Amino acid sequence: MKRTVLLGLMATWLAIAGIASAQAPRSGGLLKFAVGAEPPNYDCHANSSFAFIHPVRPHYNTLLKFDVEKYPAIKGDLAESWTVAKDGLTYTFKVRKGVKFHDGSSFTSEDVKATYERIRKPPPGVLSLREAAYSDISAIETPDPTTVVFKLSKPNASMLANFASPWDCIYSAARLKKDPKFPERNIMGTGPFTFEEHVAGSHWRGRKFKDYFEKGKPYLEGFLAIFISGAPMVNALAAGEVLAEFRGHSPADRDRIVKALGDKAVVQETPWVCSLVVTFNTKKKPFDDARVRRALSLSIDRWGGAQALSKVALVRHVGGLLRPGYEYAATEKELISYPGFAKDIAASRAQARKLLQEAGVPNLTFTLTNRNVAMPYTPVGVFLIDQWRQIGVNVKHDQLETKLYLAAQQRDNPTFDAALDFNCDFMDEPNLQLLKYLSHDRSAINYAQQTDRTLDDLFDKQSGELDKKKRFAILRDFEKRALEQAYTIPTIWWHRIIVTHRNLKGWHITPSHYVGQDLSDVWLE
Amino acid sequence: MLRYMINRLLLMLPTLFGVAVLVFVLLRLAPGDPVQMMLEGANVSQQVVEAERARLGLDRPLYVQFTKWFGALLNGDFGVSIWTGRPVLYEIGIRLELSLQVAIMAALLAVMIAVPLGTLSAVFKDTWVDHLVRVISIAGLAVPSFWLGMIIILFLLTYFSWIPPLTFTPFFEDPWKNLSQLIWPAVAVGYRYSAVAMRMMRSSVLEVLQEDYVRTARAKGVHERLVVARHAMRNALLPVVTVVGLEFAFLIGGLVVTEQVFNLNGIGKLFVQAVARGDYTMIQGLVLLVAVFFVMINFAIDLLYAFLDPRIRYR
Repeated sequence: MKRTVLLGLMATWLAIAGIASAQAPRSGGLLKFAVGAEPPNYDCHANSSFAFIHPVRPHYNTLLKFDVEKYPAIKGDLAESWTVAKDGLTYTFKVRKGVKFHDGSSFTSEDVKATYERIRKPPPGVLSLREAAYSDISAIETPDPTTVVFKLSKPNASMLANFASPWDCIYSAARLKKDPKFPERNIMGTGPFTFEEHVAGSHWRGRKFKDYFEKGKPYLEGFLAIFISGAPMVNALAAGEVLAEFRGHSPADRDRIVKALGDKAVVQETPWVCSLVVTFNTKKKPFDDARVRRALSLSIDRWGGAQALSKVALVRHVGGLLRPGYEYAATEKELISYPGFAKDIAASRAQARKLLQEAGVPNLTFTLTNRNVAMPYTPVGVFLIDQWRQIGVNVKHDQLETKLYLAAQQRDNPTFDAALDFNCDFMDEPNLQLLKYLSHDRSAINYAQQTDRTLDDLFDKQSGELDKKKRFAILRDFEKRALEQAYTIPTIWWHRIIVTHRNLKGWHITPSHYVGQDLSDVWLE
Repeated sequence: MLRYMINRLLLMLPTLFGVAVLVFVLLRLAPGDPVQMMLEGANVSQQVVEAERARLGLDRPLYVQFTKWFGALLNGDFGVSIWTGRPVLYEIGIRLELSLQVAIMAALLAVMIAVPLGTLSAVFKDTWVDHLVRVISIAGLAVPSFWLGMIIILFLLTYFSWIPPLTFTPFFEDPWKNLSQLIWPAVAVGYRYSAVAMRMMRSSVLEVLQEDYVRTARAKGVHERLVVARHAMRNALLPVVTVVGLEFAFLIGGLVVTEQVFNLNGIGKLFVQAVARGDYTMIQGLVLLVAVFFVMINFAIDLLYAFLDPRIRYR
């Protein structure tokens, strides 16, 4: 155990040392990395899994992208520069000249327009998962081949960050004109790597794009994404057969890989924009009573649980509705004033018992619907049941395979009592993380089924507020109300752990496993 | 014989039709919605969900869905995967080579181990040879293939810092790379497989050795080796052939856990993924494929009986 910890510390130190020493990148080599699942099709606009982003993102560019070293700062990708009007209603982008698509055609502002038109108004038969994120755009104009202007119907505080979304791959307008479904089965972007092959169930291969607009990049000659998960993936990392897996590892897997690789392991860790939340079915008694829901939230010792669970699971951070450490997240001082976050757990539990008594359910019994995915669903589920037992609540743990788990939380007439749900986004942004707390008729991912117009109004206010201080204040009101009503309550935020082989350079961890994956800066020693 | 073969082939059709109906209905009776699985976590409106369901034809009455699917099936079209949109036959085809090769290698390994050791065990009944073979076979039955696979991987990783290749290379493209990937799962699966056959071979040889014709051969002064090889072994092979054949058919779709352990892109892994995703068309295609394998192998076993035992004649 001690040896493992020492190796871990050594590896972490090496990581820091590695990042600090700015070595000159070398060109060449094939990067082999693991991907825990496989993309169902090739269309960025219709996908939402890391399994898609990791192999596909290197083939595309987006208008903007996150600066991984200064996350959540953004920088231009295909956009060279941009301006936002003071009223927040006009976004003007100057796009790069001389950019080529993989088929040799030239990229212009028309391609940006065609792409965003496809996302916000998908043609019949085309699936766009982020249509709602761009509903505030009223028009897209292209006054010249290097300028694209987005007109908004109302200010939207998350719009600029949205343009850095890794899902908004820029497609060729000419190809989309011929066939709007072209991207479903074809890869053709401007990204640093061209598509070579996809062997279903096995691997995905990309090759360096010789005409990439950033001279000298990418450094890699190619990449090979191998679809592999669970113990075989850990074995592959431990053997050095693959140099990385970019989603995240459990502490136990990290220790195993570090032990096997020794000083060849580099560990990077950060809080993760993912959390498990407990959703109460507010259409079902007694969960229609806010006192019951609040009591169940009050009884959870999040601070103690975070410490204990972080040793066995990939959860570690106590936070409210937004990721701890994020600029719009509550400070610890604010957090402990919310129900369920006080550090005096004995007092909280006494209050919880009292609330259950008042609600007439002192000996509450219910079922927690959970997913039969070991990490981190099982340990967090077991932890919650133990916490609730301490106020006399008896909970049955029902772990279901994904299909049944989702069916139990279905949109109409769900059958569950309480469910462990996840909230995982591609970036820190209140407009994304708070969607689960919006009324049921406004959010398809709200399984609690509640209607709360106060929360809806606060959501709209913060979304349209461009002043950071004012937005922060509105967000606190939203968070306080959401935690008091406790339709859906956060448990413990995830902690992202990535172990890479020391030969892999130029890759930086961020709180999102969706960003920073174009591999243009990655190189092999 | 020819008439018998035609009859058997014709009887396969109602069997396969029954399988097709059963798998189609059972899948639809199970709770869960494949579209919901595909759009998991995405904030899309109910209209988008409905549109996707309509695109996949899942909004139509069951009998319409079945008629459409079965009609296409009669033309050799297994449909497209709900999850990937690629043809089911393509998805199965790219994995079948690997699964078949592992099954063939495991079967060969099993026969090569089981036939001689099972015979030796019977011939030297109650001696140390018999005891040793029985220990080996019982251990093979007790140890799950996936566990043995995990031990093999850990052994290779710990002592050689090496694991088998992660991607499949066809045998005729690079035999060395192909075998260095597939020999390990073949050993893991073949050991258990051989244990089953070994037990069967032992008891079968023991039984045959008591037969009158064996006593007659010995009385005629035939050398003991020839008695065992010509008279006992050949006749004892009948039940072993049945076991080997059925196990082979099972291996085509049944290497689920072993394929996970070795990260093999085979039929078993595809099965698990299809079930987890609620990919109806893929599951239907796979179940039918496995059913066809079982039926065909049973048929082949019956024909092999006639070859092994000339007294058997089909009418």
